[in-house]
Amino acid sequence: MKEQHEGIVEDIWRFFSSMKLGLILLGLVALVAGIGTVFPQVNLDPQGAKAVSELWQTLGFTNIYGSTLFRLLMGLLCINLIVCSIQRFQGIYHQTFALKPPENITSVPNKIQAKLKGEREPLKNSVQDLLQRNGFKVTSQEIDKDWSFIAIKRRLGNWGSLISHISFVVLVIGAILGTTMGFKGFMMPSAGTTVPLSSLNLSKGTVKQDFDVHIYSAEDRFLENGDRDNWYTDMAIIENGQEVLRQTISVNHPLTYQGVTFYQASFANGARLTVDLKDQKIPVVLQDHGGNYFQAPGTDLYLIAAAIKSDPKEPAMLYQVYRGTGVDPVQKGQINLGQTIDVQGEYKLTLEGNAGFTGLQVKEDPGVTVIWLGCALLLLGLILSFYWRTVVVSGVFKSGQDSNGELTIGARAGKVTGGLQQEFDRLIQGIQSKREGAL
Amino acid sequence: MNQGLQNLETSSFYIMLMAYTLSMLFYWAWIGTKKDLMGRFATYLTIVGLVANTAAIILRMIIAGRPPLSNAYEFLLTFVWGITSVYLFVEFRYKLKALGAFVMPISFMILMFIIMSMGAEERIAQSIPPALKSKWITFHVVTAMFSYGAFAISFGLGIMYLLKLSRETNGKTAKSQAQGIISRFPDLETIDELSYKVIGFAFPLLTLCIITGAIWANYAWGTYWSWDPKETWSLITWIIYAAYLHARLMYGWKGKRAAWMTIFGFAAVLFTFFGVNYFLPGLHSYAVSQNILIV
Repeated sequence: MKEQHEGIVEDIWRFFSSMKLGLILLGLVALVAGIGTVFPQVNLDPQGAKAVSELWQTLGFTNIYGSTLFRLLMGLLCINLIVCSIQRFQGIYHQTFALKPPENITSVPNKIQAKLKGEREPLKNSVQDLLQRNGFKVTSQEIDKDWSFIAIKRRLGNWGSLISHISFVVLVIGAILGTTMGFKGFMMPSAGTTVPLSSLNLSKGTVKQDFDVHIYSAEDRFLENGDRDNWYTDMAIIENGQEVLRQTISVNHPLTYQGVTFYQASFANGARLTVDLKDQKIPVVLQDHGGNYFQAPGTDLYLIAAAIKSDPKEPAMLYQVYRGTGVDPVQKGQINLGQTIDVQGEYKLTLEGNAGFTGLQVKEDPGVTVIWLGCALLLLGLILSFYWRTVVVSGVFKSGQDSNGELTIGARAGKVTGGLQQEFDRLIQGIQSKREGAL
Repeated sequence: MNQGLQNLETSSFYIMLMAYTLSMLFYWAWIGTKKDLMGRFATYLTIVGLVANTAAIILRMIIAGRPPLSNAYEFLLTFVWGITSVYLFVEFRYKLKALGAFVMPISFMILMFIIMSMGAEERIAQSIPPALKSKWITFHVVTAMFSYGAFAISFGLGIMYLLKLSRETNGKTAKSQAQGIISRFPDLETIDELSYKVIGFAFPLLTLCIITGAIWANYAWGTYWSWDPKETWSLITWIIYAAYLHARLMYGWKGKRAAWMTIFGFAAVLFTFFGVNYFLPGLHSYAVSQNILIV
């Protein structure tokens, strides 16, 4: 029974340690990901995804990257990579840190090989000295009158493949952390307002932090040539009524506080107004193109800004007033800076100036740091694999009747041999020159 | 002054176009006639084209006041620069002039695409939206330029390999081979090994390109990966080359199968670049509405 159990475990281990499985899974991930680009996805194009036939929606084609199938593929790929990495760890460790000189000539790499004749000691000294000067770490052993050695250069290169494979697992862990923890939301406050973080319009997760955001100003700046410079928001973090941080953010320059990052995502023009209602002054900020509305307390009048002229010298607003659920405005017109108008005899309205609305994407993603770690590991692994190739040179010296003998020397560089022959030839040439120099 | 620079940039573009077109023809003439003079002309013209290409890029930088990497025209200009510069390095380093006959047509076709599909208003320096004002986009596009350029070289090598292989397997005599165009090609093993080396150079760069794109997206939109078709196809391209490397190193996939994979991989590169924008436009509105190519 125990043997049978061990057999099953071994079979599962063998299955997951197969490189073929890894390649098949990679192919399937590519295939499924490719299919996802043909169908509109709910996260990118919700309207387009809804327009797709219900059958495809039910089958998950419009949310393919969040589907069980895709997650299963990624999970299997991770298991495959972990098992492969565990299996290869010991071998790589031995190939890097526990190299043993060859016992006989058959153990010397034979694809790239040379034979050198000479006296035992001078040859040994020449080889060792030259290899060390070329950055090799040399280990040698004496067997009676014979000697053998093994030398390794750029040994971290051996770890490149393992590191890059592990990095994929780290990336997936980062993505899982980002998906299961943290939150994502959007807010569009106007300049001069303070909004609690909890008022965020959330699309994912819940907000645990308890602080407010004050918007000092929101600007749409232009360059002298008329091109847009950037959107800027001068904002502050208010905690327990105290301003703890103030910073101007813009697109590509976010602000992070307590793990929450504020990204400048959009901008809308607004108008700053004062409503005089029964001697009560109410400040109001309206967003361009009817982005929001104002309902005067105790009335059924709804005021919107149909269009705003954002020129700071001559701000103006085209306004519309609706009553109840009426479709047509009961009053409309233009109001200029400093001008006061009467709205249906209910209240007076004064335009005080412009005020920008800033669109802020707000996000807490504890997985981001893990993602960057994964990216760094991936790059490190690839650089070690492709630009820091490990070279191993080994040889066996067989003595003849006197102190003379023959050194069989060979080189290998993992599975890649391109360029190694030239490097090896240079080494052999160096050894020969050194010996000639010594003579 | 700006008008003068714009005229100079336009002149550089047409000099580049002429030089690359002629160099392609001279490379073809060289492998057909075996006259060294043809080969020398081909190389000189490629160098002239690259100088003009560099001038066009630098002038665009001066005119726009930013790295010239923000619209389709500018990226194609740098893509061609990447292909040609990597090609010239390979030609000089490995004495592989015959490769020019397969690589220069790629540059030529990209330039023809610019001429035929982009109006003058699409080629002039335009203002860019705030999201594109990031140093990360420069890293992102520069790494794309070199990796895509190198993949184009591996594609050319793959075609050379398959042509030489088909000639050899068709049982041509050694004599007729020596007289034919294919005789200008290095031996199969050299082509195969060089193709691997080029992909080994390009693959980490493609990885860096994807990573810098993710960093940029995270700064700009707070999302490092959104499964946008452009991102997804760059990942698919990455997977194809990763599969090539694994199959080669672990299963000894060399020769014909490896050559086909280089062709397949470059097809994915082209689809990532052109296909996503032109066949899946509805899903990549950013690229279509702004005529911006995010690589």
